[in-house]
Amino acid sequence: MPALIEWIRHTPVSWFVLNYGWVWPISESVHFCGLTLMTGTVGLFDLRLLGVGRGISPRSLHRLLRFGVAGFALSVITGTLFIAGTPEQYFYNAAFKVKVTCLFLIGCNVILFYSLEFKRVAQLGPDDDAPLAAKWMAGASLVLLTCVMCAGRMLTFFRPPF
Amino acid sequence: MMALFVWIEQSALSVWVRESPSLLAFPFILFLHTLGLALLAGISVALDLWLLMGAARARRIATRGLFRAMWLGFAINALSGVVLLAAYPAKALTNWVFYTKMVLILLALLALEATRREVFDEARPGDTIVVTSRARALAIASLAFWAGTILTGRLLAYTYVILLASDPP
Repeated sequence: MPALIEWIRHTPVSWFVLNYGWVWPISESVHFCGLTLMTGTVGLFDLRLLGVGRGISPRSLHRLLRFGVAGFALSVITGTLFIAGTPEQYFYNAAFKVKVTCLFLIGCNVILFYSLEFKRVAQLGPDDDAPLAAKWMAGASLVLLTCVMCAGRMLTFFRPPF
Repeated sequence: MMALFVWIEQSALSVWVRESPSLLAFPFILFLHTLGLALLAGISVALDLWLLMGAARARRIATRGLFRAMWLGFAINALSGVVLLAAYPAKALTNWVFYTKMVLILLALLALEATRREVFDEARPGDTIVVTSRARALAIASLAFWAGTILTGRLLAYTYVILLASDPP
């Protein structure tokens, strides 16, 4: 791990993050915009599967998920900048490990959803109830998104001492 | 004004939020503020995008549940925001970025309410949603207001002049 941290610290990206004062605050703002896009669109889709906002076809809300993917991409890019800037603050941070684990579980949940439930959900009409398995996946998605936000906010408080 | 800030900073709530080592103090309140953002701005942004992308000619829907979720987000953010403000009153109230954020939140909420009346009001005639040019303009404005709110919210941490009135620089 120390070798990896040392390598990251010598990359041009790390230099860029640490030598321009505006990079960190602007990246944080973009990170939060990405978070809002992702949780908003994915969360709305999840809520519909759970029965809130019935009357909207899940297929119609599914079209919004491309913005959720864009939000996730923004968060990953800016998150990478943070890690490039101060890698030791993340690699030795328990909250960061929880956050990454939750993101991994979200990825597994997405794969499960598209493999097992998406075809049935795509055929639902505006007033139809989602299958039980899809509801469980939507619930898991909301819980995991909340955990990602919580762990993300706790990062500062689990940082190793400088 | 500084005397008022000092008085707030010395209150039990302010000291607890600022100095308690408990994760339920400052860290948890910050998390609540993010959760409220996700509920209020997240759903609002998703509805804006839905109006701009796919709502035209969709059947009129009962959005009461969604608006309740957004108002719950607002309540969480208003309460957690007041507690965060109590922790560092001078940091926010001596910074023009804070007031810009407040104005942007107000504009976003006004746009949300105007959208509700324009598009989702259940008293409106007709069975289908009509996305008027006004509704589109409101959705675009709402997206801009929320982006501005997030930007100014994050910049608060970097633009303050005074952190604590009781401990001036």
